[in-house]
Amino acid sequence: MGGRANGRRAWWEDGMSELVRLTDITKVYQGGITGALNGVSVTVERGEFTAIMGPSGSGKSTLLNLVAGLDRPTSGTVEVAGTDLGKLGEAGMARFRRDHIGFVFQFFHLLPNLTALENVLIPAQLKGNVVPGRAWELLDLLGIKEVADKYPARLSGGQQQRVAIARALINNPTLLLADEPTGALDTHSGEQVMELLGRLHRDGQTILLVTHDAKLATRHAARVLSVLDGNIVDDARLEDAERAAADVIRVHGEETRR
Amino acid sequence: MSLKYGVMGLLAEEPLHGYEVKNRFEAMLGGTWEVNIGQIYTTLQRLERDGLVRPMGARGDRGKLLYELSPDGRKALDEWLAQPDSGPQQLHEDIYVKLLLATRLANGDLAQLLGRQKRAYLQRLRDLNRLEERARRDGRIDLARLVRGALLHTEADLKWVDELTADAHGGKTE
Repeated sequence: MGGRANGRRAWWEDGMSELVRLTDITKVYQGGITGALNGVSVTVERGEFTAIMGPSGSGKSTLLNLVAGLDRPTSGTVEVAGTDLGKLGEAGMARFRRDHIGFVFQFFHLLPNLTALENVLIPAQLKGNVVPGRAWELLDLLGIKEVADKYPARLSGGQQQRVAIARALINNPTLLLADEPTGALDTHSGEQVMELLGRLHRDGQTILLVTHDAKLATRHAARVLSVLDGNIVDDARLEDAERAAADVIRVHGEETRR
Repeated sequence: MSLKYGVMGLLAEEPLHGYEVKNRFEAMLGGTWEVNIGQIYTTLQRLERDGLVRPMGARGDRGKLLYELSPDGRKALDEWLAQPDSGPQQLHEDIYVKLLLATRLANGDLAQLLGRQKRAYLQRLRDLNRLEERARRDGRIDLARLVRGALLHTEADLKWVDELTADAHGGKTE
């Protein structure tokens, strides 16, 4: 890209809004085709909330892992925030993840022997930039300040996921990635977690969400990518018009008879 | 849904004029079912003929007539409320027939039809979400529940389209 090399701001800092660019991505797994990708190209704009939907094994989690730098494509390029991830070594990749990516998983992945607050601070410690103030701010924002000193085993699923979200946000990631973040939660906790992601998005956070819940996805994400057999088969941008109730639902009566 | 029982249910709360019935009915349905005043009067007249409602007193102000639910009407209403809906499933939308025709006319290649339908369902889900939020904001929990039902129905429709798409896709790549 060389945006910095010539002394100018990189294209992605320059009011340009593209944040992620995947070009002709293939991912081949040995011993099976599950999760493989067959030539995917897509871009994501800064500030977008995009949902990725598709059946299990369609490749949607693979897509997310490639953007996160947790995995590398068999061919094709992944660029995030102006960085071509293919040009990074392992150390560079770890640094990229630490500085740019917040990742939320279905099963929280909290360390059981650390408190909620300590879990939130892990990425900041890895960065050598411990910011307890920011951690408290996030715990407050996510409504879990009162459980800061508790260990994960003492927390409900919804609370654990909110701790995981706080951890994902502690380094102010350029991009928040969430892989089925409501998959292990009951309906109510799931809705709360999604509500939270919606709020973060309204505050400007770019979010890529893998989910199978179309109701929740369309409530918050204005763009829905459909993945099937390793391809993006649809890219829907949803409108946000205020519609009259009768334009959305029609309750029908049988014709009054006789 | 039946206008007849809707009207009877409202009259079970308190006696009403025809116009009040119309307004309350539409408010109850949150704008998802609009009726004209003619339908309301026709319904009231039939209910009166069948002894399920009765006029209270004479025509009042500007010829307005108050109706109340009769004891027979109350009984009929309670029976109706207690009955589960066990009739055939209603599939009102054109997509069902379009799908059958597309299978016959387009050699089984449904991809385009399904793709467009999927987008329509996604957009509808978004609109329904907005409507549910609005109903909750307005304190209309009853209406929010109605919208929730519509959301779940549309989710099922979407899953159905996804399933057909996966079938069509699998068929093509094999």
